[in-house]
Amino acid sequence: MSIAPDRFNTRRDTFAFGLCLLLSVALRMAPPPVQDTLASVITRSILAPFLTLQEQVLLMRAARTSYADVVAQRDSAFLSALEVKALEEENTRLRELLVLHQRLPVRHVAADVLHQAAPTDGLTLRLAAGARDGVLATAPVIARGGLLGIVRSVEPASAVAIVWAHPDFRVSAMTLDGEAFGIVAPHGAEGPWRMLLELQGVPYGVRVAPGTMIYTSGLGGGSGVYPRGVPIGTVLAVLDEQEGWSRTYLVEPAVQPAAVSHVIILTGPRVDLSGAFTDILP
Amino acid sequence: MTVRGGRYRVAGVLLLLAVLHFTVLPLLGDPRVAPDFLLVALLVYAIRARPGDAAIAGFVVGLVADALTPVAFGAGVLAHTLVGYLAAWGKAVFFAENLMVNTGFVFVGSLVRDFIVLVAGRHVAGSVLLWQLVFWSPVRAVTTALAGMVTLFAFRRWLDVRMSE
Repeated sequence: MSIAPDRFNTRRDTFAFGLCLLLSVALRMAPPPVQDTLASVITRSILAPFLTLQEQVLLMRAARTSYADVVAQRDSAFLSALEVKALEEENTRLRELLVLHQRLPVRHVAADVLHQAAPTDGLTLRLAAGARDGVLATAPVIARGGLLGIVRSVEPASAVAIVWAHPDFRVSAMTLDGEAFGIVAPHGAEGPWRMLLELQGVPYGVRVAPGTMIYTSGLGGGSGVYPRGVPIGTVLAVLDEQEGWSRTYLVEPAVQPAAVSHVIILTGPRVDLSGAFTDILP
Repeated sequence: MTVRGGRYRVAGVLLLLAVLHFTVLPLLGDPRVAPDFLLVALLVYAIRARPGDAAIAGFVVGLVADALTPVAFGAGVLAHTLVGYLAAWGKAVFFAENLMVNTGFVFVGSLVRDFIVLVAGRHVAGSVLLWQLVFWSPVRAVTTALAGMVTLFAFRRWLDVRMSE
């Protein structure tokens, strides 16, 4: 079959193209609430069966992993010969998430990450849990190792989270001893595999040594958007100095969004979570 | 093959690609290098459609892509509309129905789409933008082109693709 045009680019084609172009520019310039509503309508309607399908595939993969775990207990020698490395890593992540899940002293929901093949996937993530599971907008999202981001919009069965690499992401941070406070923001990329954060506005008189872990401070807003004590990353070096005023530090994030397949969304009141991460941190 | 039968077959291939996008993608590991089956579907359609129809198809695929990752809503719509229209227009003017040419077409389409999304979206800048453009986009374009080549080869009779010039 060939339905390729013998007369290309008629007036009708130009009109259709111009209209689509105009609409896409209008969508780009539309206020964020309109964009979110439209995205939500599309997700709930034509995309709903496809997202359900994607979630089922993830569940099947997880079930397969669990099955491999049972087989490992029965006949570990046999399994070690067959085990795929990726499945072992998946197992480890799930176990660690389970440990974290049991330790968290706050109401929370576990969710799969529905990754997409788009250049913007590392900035937002679609999560397979939504309003039906008690997820609310501005709920913090954590993964093995620490903070991943925050829920931006919620649909009945899914939610969109912006992760720390998003240019709008900010979180109030501190060192565990409470000596240094600052604001953590995305920094940029050091090579294709390495995205970094920066800790801004640390008072000049306070020195933060390389290797120091940075945690959420719980400050900001009424009771803070993020609970206190969630690891954000490790200080690498001083990035910038404003003589006599403040320093900015380069921070290695505790969680890499592209490697995350399962997350925990906090749905309860903000409490101190530093105890939940003590054995999990690398 | 009747025209109507051919259309159903093409529609079947497009639906299959949409399903693959949501079922195979989670199994492929790093999403940054995973092939974009929706873009393959758009280009498979665009190279055999009128430019206006391809632009509309691009608009729809862009809406879906933006709804899935709403970082810069509208940038994906704009990018897919342009890629769809240019693919149909370029195919009608320049290109032959050949497997390798079509594969190259998917590769360029993926690169152009990523470039427009990243630039029109204005949500990344500096080193992040640089690495996206010089590393991740080309890698994704290669995997997407490979997925396109496999699709075109597997369904070459339904899609009227020649193996050589």
